[in-house]
Amino acid sequence: MRLSDMSFFNLASRRMNWLGVRQQVVAQNIANANTPGYRAQDVSAFADVLRGTSGAVMTTNTKHISGLNKGSGDISIQDDRDAYETSLDGNTVALEQQTINSTEVTENYRLAAQLYRKGHEMLTLAATGIR
Amino acid sequence: MDPLKSILTISASGMLAQGERLKVVSENVANASSTAMTPGEDPYRRKTITFEELLDRDTGVSTVQVASIDRDGSDFSLRYEPSHPAADETGFVKVSNVSTVMEMANMREAARSYEANMNMFEAARKMRSQILDLLK
Repeated sequence: MRLSDMSFFNLASRRMNWLGVRQQVVAQNIANANTPGYRAQDVSAFADVLRGTSGAVMTTNTKHISGLNKGSGDISIQDDRDAYETSLDGNTVALEQQTINSTEVTENYRLAAQLYRKGHEMLTLAATGIR
Repeated sequence: MDPLKSILTISASGMLAQGERLKVVSENVANASSTAMTPGEDPYRRKTITFEELLDRDTGVSTVQVASIDRDGSDFSLRYEPSHPAADETGFVKVSNVSTVMEMANMREAARSYEANMNMFEAARKMRSQILDLLK
């Protein structure tokens, strides 16, 4: 029995992996907050990564053909479409937005880590009967 | 490369770049009233700094670095001071093109960006310690 094969642990670790990559992208954005022409980036949504459809060509209109590229399910990094501010030098990083993202990631990471721990505690309880 | 580990590199590069920017700002402020010693000479010319993205192709991590430190080409202003050694025949002295208000704004922005990088560093550290806590 491998822990990562159990859907619970698999889900938690994939979530933590995704959050780690997202935090890295936020760090890159913040480091480049004053770089002329730098475009803020974000990672593909976690739901898309789970479904294995991330990296596919976006269909933003019902008339779009989805195409053969169904996506690899890898975590892909693309331009942040929610970036709402462009400075005079063409930089689209808004520090406030990035700070919010970072806090969100940190909290979600804590949640995933706690869930992982809880799962482990449940296994221990089942195996030993001692909490 | 582990993303949490690479955040430390990324944030450190950001702090390094912002530190360099603060250095340039302090040079400008320190030399705001540096004039020439002879009439034909130019006074202190304001320094500018630009950043660029640095992509590590092996790991896909993008950090930041100082692209260049240039001189501001804007015009010098004139001040009437006939007794100054650098005054021309009409009594005007060229003074440096440093604007202290501009430098102040620049300094504030650099300090804020530095802080933001520091917070990222701290966030990554926290996330790593949560992972390590799983071992307990």
